[in-house]
Amino acid sequence: MAKYHPDLDLLTEYAAGTLPLAQAACVSVHMSYCEQCRRTVSQLQDVGASLFEGLQGEAVSESVLNSVLGQLDDEAPLSYVGSQDHASAIGKTPAILQRLMNGDYTDLVWKKITSSLSISYLKTGDPNYEFALYHIKAGGKIPEHSHRGAEMTLVLEGGFSDADGSYHEGDFIMREPGDAHAPTAVQSEDCICLAVLDAPLKFTGWKYRWMNPFLQLSAG
Amino acid sequence: MENTLKFSSTYNGGSAGRRTDEWSECLQLIAKNEDRAAFTRFFRHFAPLIKAFALAGSSLSASLADELVQEVMLKVWQKAGGFNPEKAAASTWVYTIARNCRTDMFRRLQKFDTPLSEEDVMPEQGNSEEPLAMLQDRRSRESIRKMMSTLPPDQMQILAKVYMEGKSHAEAANELDLPLGTVKSRVRLAIQKLQIQIDR
Repeated sequence: MAKYHPDLDLLTEYAAGTLPLAQAACVSVHMSYCEQCRRTVSQLQDVGASLFEGLQGEAVSESVLNSVLGQLDDEAPLSYVGSQDHASAIGKTPAILQRLMNGDYTDLVWKKITSSLSISYLKTGDPNYEFALYHIKAGGKIPEHSHRGAEMTLVLEGGFSDADGSYHEGDFIMREPGDAHAPTAVQSEDCICLAVLDAPLKFTGWKYRWMNPFLQLSAG
Repeated sequence: MENTLKFSSTYNGGSAGRRTDEWSECLQLIAKNEDRAAFTRFFRHFAPLIKAFALAGSSLSASLADELVQEVMLKVWQKAGGFNPEKAAASTWVYTIARNCRTDMFRRLQKFDTPLSEEDVMPEQGNSEEPLAMLQDRRSRESIRKMMSTLPPDQMQILAKVYMEGKSHAEAANELDLPLGTVKSRVRLAIQKLQIQIDR
């Protein structure tokens, strides 16, 4: 079960539908692992619904009703077999990622950054955020880096640790600009994470600092 | 504040109880019998709310607001079979559809080229099937609606900005000329008062 969750501010913005697409997608992947957050979000949606019910209605003309009624013949109600719920994703790749990857992790093009880190960029269409999968080899280390912007990370497989804690499948971590860390993957298996960034990373160690000018945001 | 959102004068934190059940029944009639009379009743109640939601704090024109009403109501017709009254209030179900359609409409207007729809990112019902959890969830749905009317105006104002006008916390802070921290803490205070469970 996930131990690290999005904070209440993020969950509220998610429930109100005001998070940017790439960030909302990342929170939604966490939700597929986390029943607690699903329940909290469902209550936060009740808050929205309660405000919605209380709105002073704006008159809608009969022609709109007639137009909708006229279209019902072409639109038979969908039948629902079982539930389409955001069922537990433990042990399988979350649906939204499968959609963005057109398959599975092995079908992706991975760009090698260091001997233990490869990155694959996915296209969400959000022009302001990079949405990428990080593959860290078992026991491998990502060079120490800081964040020029905010970064959301979600562990999809395996796990990693840094000075602040250790993170496993479903864990959600939010880093603010300026936070520096050097994550290390667990020894037992490779780690795959989803990372959503609004500005490129910045390596802080002397060995990798030369790469900074080449690290550009691959948004879109 | 340039445009204050209008809430109906009878606002009592939403209508819990009998009337809520009426809308759940409508949805079930639509799903089971393709009942157009039930659909029309549902339309007459919710379409004006959807239109008000479309116009809240946004740049949508009246004709786009009508378009949104049509889109949402067609989805209601198609998806009524997926509504589960054990898991959600009818109004919450409609609200989430309206919210998703509005976001998709904004993205279309901004020519976002994305393979995702808001529905992919915001699944509609994802609650527990476990009886005790379902009971707790239902109680909290009822108490949220009751407690809403007890919130102080400054907290209500921010919730309306965030939920109805679809503003991010940062945008709300900007428009109300408040520090971001104040907006966040008002939202958190409101959520606390509504006794939303964040069991961590």
